[in-house]
Amino acid sequence: MSLAAEMFVSQIAAAEPWPENATLYQPLKDDQILLSDCASSLAVQAYLRMCNLPINVSYRANAEYMSPSGKVPFIHVGNQVVSELGPIVQFTKAKGHSLSDGLDDVQRAEMKAYMELVNNMLLTAELYIQWCDENTVAEITRLRYSSPYSWPLNHILAFQKQWEVRRKMNAIGWAGKSLAQVYEDVSQCCQALSQRLGTQPYFFNKQPTELDALVFGHLFTILTTQLTSNELSEKIKNYGNLLSFCRRVEQNFFEERDGDSTASSSSRFSKGPSLI
Amino acid sequence: MATPMELSCWAGDWGLPSVHTDSLIVLAYAKFSGAKLTIEPVDWTWKTLTGTVPALHCEGTTVTEPVQILNFLRKQRYNADYELSAKQGADTMAYIALLEEKLQPALLHTFWVDTENYANLTRPWFASHSPFPLNFFLPSRLASMALSRILLTKGESPLHSIMEVEAKIYSEAKECLNLLSHRLGSSQYFFGNTPASLDAFAFGYIAPLLKASLPSCQLQQHLKQLSNLCQFCDAILKNYFVDRAPGSPPASQDTVDANLQKLTQLVNKESNLIEKMDDNLRSSPQHRPRRADPKPSPLCSERNSTPA
Repeated sequence: MSLAAEMFVSQIAAAEPWPENATLYQPLKDDQILLSDCASSLAVQAYLRMCNLPINVSYRANAEYMSPSGKVPFIHVGNQVVSELGPIVQFTKAKGHSLSDGLDDVQRAEMKAYMELVNNMLLTAELYIQWCDENTVAEITRLRYSSPYSWPLNHILAFQKQWEVRRKMNAIGWAGKSLAQVYEDVSQCCQALSQRLGTQPYFFNKQPTELDALVFGHLFTILTTQLTSNELSEKIKNYGNLLSFCRRVEQNFFEERDGDSTASSSSRFSKGPSLI
Repeated sequence: MATPMELSCWAGDWGLPSVHTDSLIVLAYAKFSGAKLTIEPVDWTWKTLTGTVPALHCEGTTVTEPVQILNFLRKQRYNADYELSAKQGADTMAYIALLEEKLQPALLHTFWVDTENYANLTRPWFASHSPFPLNFFLPSRLASMALSRILLTKGESPLHSIMEVEAKIYSEAKECLNLLSHRLGSSQYFFGNTPASLDAFAFGYIAPLLKASLPSCQLQQHLKQLSNLCQFCDAILKNYFVDRAPGSPPASQDTVDANLQKLTQLVNKESNLIEKMDDNLRSSPQHRPRRADPKPSPLCSERNSTPA
């Protein structure tokens, strides 16, 4: 989104309250969505739940092409469409819902830094594993990514996407990494997160922030997703406080509403065991 | 312990020990940890083309990339992070990720993609530091690598266009500088009174932006408003590089190669001129809208000068 458009959106956004029919779009959860998209989508859902903003989740095979930035998930609120966690956080802030208002400048800098650590390491590692590891590509990624399309489009689109991700890996110097090195990076990132979390309930003690939503989205998705090997989730399981953090967020923001709301029937498992 | 270590990197200028961010990170870290490196500039050699810069050579092994070199130095017991707690170590990783994701794209853009800076500063510098046939070819190769890196990491997928991401990367970079300035506060280094690896990274990213005389300098102006970051760079230069910065080694080489350099600069100016003429020819109506791009910049400077 261009800057001018962003400012325009945030100005008109402030005027309207959060509508009841806000919708989040993501790819089909059972047989299409990939690890990285699932993690990003869960992070946004967790964020909105932390803000107490109701959202309906809608599954569309062409979600990626509906999104204004080409990335999922995106939300449709009133007459605006916003994609990805960063802009969505800004958008809700313009509407007066923010989780990080209580932080001082140094804490906010720290929060942004850790969010970039997650994007830089975990998200990149997820992309690497699902598009650059030959086993995963052949057994999982290609089949799932191209599932809505018929021949020959399925092959074309999957190859196009794979080519795009590999060029990105080349540009950031990850193309030369081996799978073992990527696992090592993930492990280091988890160690850093675990150290930062310590014994606190959330990263900034009592009050969850967007960092908690982002970390939960990625860790929970990795933990509950079956890949060709479970080495990735084993890396996280070494850190007990991260596991109990995931359980805490799940209990506080996803389970309590299972009884009373209809939307939640999809929620509990929408995030979870998706990739076969 | 005292195995000789040799670092090949880009030479210094503008009052810096090296003009190249990654080289600068390694040089600063080596100073902080007390590692003795023999510095071998790649300038005016064919290594500018084939070598990955910076590269550390030690007993037949070669290590590249700043993160790997820092790890290697730590294994040789040159550790500047020795006194950090585990949480500070985690913070170091996080802030390095922040620099890489938010500041680096805008820096690459400032030095390599911004036409004015590239034509007047970056290309003449790198061309005059490359041997004869490479000077025509190397800067544009580095520039296209920088451009593709920006587009691939920040561009929104189907239509990669630099115009769309420019405003975004600059506003992100300004925010990143603000965050760093808040984090540094009034302390001398990021973790108290002794510099550690995060200081090396921050110095490597910020110092070239601060010291280069950029013709088009919106990001530099923003940085100069954050006085604690400027002081932080100056303090590192003063405390760790002062014997080197005014620069006897490059100066002596300068006198040797002065004539050659003048010649190459002349050639470069000429090729600049040719390119400008070419640009003028091309700026026929279909290219007009692209030329009118400074439009987003007043917007974003307006927007970002407030939090500073």
